[in-house]
Amino acid sequence: MNDPLLVVQQALYGFSEASVLFLLASGMTLVFGLMRIVNMAHGAFYLVGAYIGIVVSTATGNLLVAILAGAAVVAALAFAADLGLLRWLRGQELPEVLVTIGLTYIIGDLCLAIFGGDPLGLAGPAKEPAGGFQVGSVTFPWFRLLVIGIAVVIGVGLVLVQHRTRVGAILRAGVDDRETIAAHGINIRWVFTWMFVAGAALAGAGGVIDAGLENVVPNQQWDFLVKSLVVVIVGGLGSIAGAAVGAVGIALIDVFAKVYLPDIAYFTIFLPMALILIFRPNGLFGKKA
Amino acid sequence: MTNPLTRATAVVRPATGLIPSLGGASRDRLTTTLQYVGLAVVLVLLVALPYLGLAPYYVNITTTTLCSALLAASVNFLLGQAGLVSMGQAGISTVAMYGVAWGFKQGWDLGGQLLLALVLTLVVSAIFGIVSMRTSGIYFMMVTLAAGMLVFGLAYSMSSITAADTGISVDRPGDLNSRFNYWQWYYLALAVFIVGTAILWVVSRSPFGASLRGIRDSESRMRSLGYNVAAYKVGAFMISGFVAGMAGVITLWNNKLVTSDSASITNSTLPIIVLVLGGVGTLLGPLVGAIVVTFFSIIMPSFFERWETLLGVVFILVIMFARAGIVGGLGRLYRWIRRRTGGSVRTPDVGTPVPTSNHRTTA
Repeated sequence: MNDPLLVVQQALYGFSEASVLFLLASGMTLVFGLMRIVNMAHGAFYLVGAYIGIVVSTATGNLLVAILAGAAVVAALAFAADLGLLRWLRGQELPEVLVTIGLTYIIGDLCLAIFGGDPLGLAGPAKEPAGGFQVGSVTFPWFRLLVIGIAVVIGVGLVLVQHRTRVGAILRAGVDDRETIAAHGINIRWVFTWMFVAGAALAGAGGVIDAGLENVVPNQQWDFLVKSLVVVIVGGLGSIAGAAVGAVGIALIDVFAKVYLPDIAYFTIFLPMALILIFRPNGLFGKKA
Repeated sequence: MTNPLTRATAVVRPATGLIPSLGGASRDRLTTTLQYVGLAVVLVLLVALPYLGLAPYYVNITTTTLCSALLAASVNFLLGQAGLVSMGQAGISTVAMYGVAWGFKQGWDLGGQLLLALVLTLVVSAIFGIVSMRTSGIYFMMVTLAAGMLVFGLAYSMSSITAADTGISVDRPGDLNSRFNYWQWYYLALAVFIVGTAILWVVSRSPFGASLRGIRDSESRMRSLGYNVAAYKVGAFMISGFVAGMAGVITLWNNKLVTSDSASITNSTLPIIVLVLGGVGTLLGPLVGAIVVTFFSIIMPSFFERWETLLGVVFILVIMFARAGIVGGLGRLYRWIRRRTGGSVRTPDVGTPVPTSNHRTTA
């Protein structure tokens, strides 16, 4: 592990893991920032996205179609959940969170019923480009580079939407002061609904991509939720930049800890969270309120 | 105050309205009287249970129910009295489990095991309390959730001590291990359950409990009255944590095993589900909720595979339409019947405040 090439390879792996972590956490942090909902069903949305992506990619062999399908199905699911349940509970924080816990149980169990208990992943042409590029004795899969590229594009897109468009302006204003923006004639109810749907769509797309890197198994929704929470807390609630930095930091720590500190490898992703909670409770990029 | 979370919560004021929106039947006198009657019936039933000719299997299931009810009761204390939702309660009970299990593995006697569990539980509860004491509402949930995840991460990683997901196996104390002594083990668990519930009940009735309810209803008012709100929250967390530790110890002996999974996020959310189904802020709610959840998770799988889906649906329906839970709902039903039949109904005294207007305007 002292070979610099190996270090670079590990770092690249870290960045590809960070990419899926970012896609996982960005939706959750945006939803929290605007709506003050800890969406416990976020991991379940991610899992649904992964399963839909696997089904669609097997049928079509096209990754882009699979990603869009995963995002669309999860978005529809979130739309129904918001209109049918969460809208009736707006502003009641505990019931909102509890409903998303209930949703997690239902979605997780139905995924097990529909997709079975075996580990599944993207396969075939959807995982193009196959193979990898070789430097010396070290190879790195093209697919992981593609994943990094997708995450960067989506991340940049989110930042542009947030800071360059009218929608973004409404969202940022909504985060700062919901009453005032409602008084300005913005229908904050629908803004909330669409934010929830968009956050879920991000999770859905992320799930599809993740299924290309690792197989998914039933009940993994809780695992995804924990990872997402760690990144959101480290990055700061509601911050896209925080989610990006948090995802990269956590992923790199995780990858290198597995090599250098295998004994406490799992705890190392929680350690940054503990330090953040103690020294910077609002997270790296959280608003000072 | 330097902690920025404090200001954020001061603006949003999430703590108020949590309880009114979820039951809040705690101080309604009629419901309380009903609960005493119910309590007496339940106690007699529980004590007589092994003599009712039940198969050992069902007595054992009842023991499991008591374990999960006591953990839910510790969550109930924080939520019902202080208006705080701990989403990391399984972390605390798991620490107590490891205290006993590790002592057992070292060959310590029972006193040593329990002492280690006690010290660990109190220390970890204090840490939970300190990291969360300046927060309330949704931020309190996040911080306790994170603290619970930390315990899980530690338990999973320090495998030389905790054996991670393989776990540590223990024997029950004395000769309770034999499966023929299932009913003696049942009585021990029942005793722990009753003591734990009694502790929470006594503290709730004390001036300390009244102060917690004051904090629940208006944190800023209590602060301006000179109460050290943060200290009260830490104190409440340590009492709740102590009982969660008791629940952990009987759960450990019941399963004869502790793994890192005991602290998982699923095990932390389960007591909340138990509590909400049974009725937040009610004395019998945790037990009733635990009976329901045990029925779903242990008895139902033998004839209905999708019990998790059904539990989720029932849980969501309760949140949407029957916030008071089963116990609180029965109290309301009773009042309604009394009104219909022309009996006099004492209106709830004191009462909990209705959700404040700022919740509506934010929606």
